Amino acid sequence: MNSLLGGIFLGWSLGANDAANVFGSAVSSRMLKFWTAAMLAAAFVLVGALVEGQSGIETLQNLTVFTSNQAIVASVAAAVTVTLMTLLGLPVSTSQAVVGAILGVGLLNRQLNFAGLGKVVVCWIGTPVGGIILGIIVYKLLAAIANSMNLNIFQSDILLRLCLIFAGAYGAYALGANNVANVTAVFVGAGMLNVSAAALIGGLSIGLGILTFSRGVMDTVGKKLVRLDPFSALVVVLAHAITVHIYALIGVPVSTSQAVIGAVLGVGIIKGVNTIKRRTLVHIFLAWFITPFVASFFALFLDFATHLRYIPGH
Amino acid sequence: MFKFLFKKEQQIQELISRYLDNLRATQEHFEKAMDCYFDFGLGENCDFLIEQTHKFESRADDFRNEIIEMMYSKVLIPESRGDILRLLESIDLIPTHFETVLFMIQGQKLKVPDFIAPDLRELMRVSLECCDLVTRQVEAYFKKTEDIKPLVTTIDKHESRCDHMEREIVRKIFASDLDPFEKMQLKELVVQMGEISDQADRVSRSVYIINIKRRV
Repeated sequence: MNSLLGGIFLGWSLGANDAANVFGSAVSSRMLKFWTAAMLAAAFVLVGALVEGQSGIETLQNLTVFTSNQAIVASVAAAVTVTLMTLLGLPVSTSQAVVGAILGVGLLNRQLNFAGLGKVVVCWIGTPVGGIILGIIVYKLLAAIANSMNLNIFQSDILLRLCLIFAGAYGAYALGANNVANVTAVFVGAGMLNVSAAALIGGLSIGLGILTFSRGVMDTVGKKLVRLDPFSALVVVLAHAITVHIYALIGVPVSTSQAVIGAVLGVGIIKGVNTIKRRTLVHIFLAWFITPFVASFFALFLDFATHLRYIPGH
Repeated sequence: MFKFLFKKEQQIQELISRYLDNLRATQEHFEKAMDCYFDFGLGENCDFLIEQTHKFESRADDFRNEIIEMMYSKVLIPESRGDILRLLESIDLIPTHFETVLFMIQGQKLKVPDFIAPDLRELMRVSLECCDLVTRQVEAYFKKTEDIKPLVTTIDKHESRCDHMEREIVRKIFASDLDPFEKMQLKELVVQMGEISDQADRVSRSVYIINIKRRV
């Protein structure tokens, strides 16, 4: 169990950070109580991980061959990278950190599945692009429906709240299905867990992060989203959930934050406004580019460090 | 089917309906007080009607506070809360103007000269028509019973007419040989009466903006 702690910590921090993308707008605008949102998110993350999490786990475990020690090294390297990048204030992707760490281990083993890696990198590029496209499509579709309904302020508010709860629950499901691989795939690769147990432990650790530490992040990220307007916030949540779910079906863990940024940009294109500052975009791009390398470096360093032996007399 | 889940929204909707009914009642009493003043001058009856208008105006504040309290107990999205709050504050200024006109007449014991009395009555009639229309417009916005755009146009036309009448009455006052102090008092009364239609027009525009703002 101790050897899984790195993965559980990674899952915990993932849950604490990424739940804000799905329920932040509803909670920070006080449309939904934190505990209702947290329970819903934790439950749906677990369901998503158990029902559709296997595909991503298989993709990541096939990227290279692990020993038990290397699985621990990879998960700790990813966790350290996420923590470091967060401390630096860069919007970090857990998926990229995990793949970067696996890459580091693969380089040591001189065994990398380049076809699998190519698929992962293509999906990384596709995540914000998918967010933009789906943001535009979902906005147009929902706007056409909303405008044709002729609802009064109370009815439209009730509908919006229900939709935000539904979209949030779906987002949590997609998060669990897509990101559970980040948490426990390396342990499956090392033969320490089977796929179902990995999905269960991963889902539970993400859920634990949501229940214990997501409140502050929900308030911060949620307020940023609500600054758009409630309807656009709903579009963003739904578009990012669909994007992440698609990649869960393909079997590639991607960054939910990058999907959100893409969806926000899509809404900005429709409304003809700059929804994200240039500086933020530069930070995202920088983090997108350097996260895999940093994680890879940490994996190499930790593996090297764990192999150091004290030889008396020399 | 899920009505029980949104009990507070229903309560707010009911409170807004009661608030608008109260606005109508305030207007009714203001009209009666003004008619009484024009027909018989200040007296016991007029004082009673002024007192009644004041009571209904105060009740509007109670309704408004109840609505605000309920809205901020996690009901409605923040944007809607802000819109409704600003709208209610704006509507609330209409009965405040009713009260100001009546208190001005009562407190300063104003006497309306015969040569402007019919014009003032007409100004009051058109202003109150504006108020009727604006109440209908607000109700239409909350219940989606009719299109609000034609109402905005009609209210705007009425308001322009009131402005024109206001200028005409002030011109007549200053062309007369009344005492200059009396002229200033009457001018103040006319301006205050003109404020009623101005405020109704402001409310009407707010409703229109809130409505188009919510279209996506």
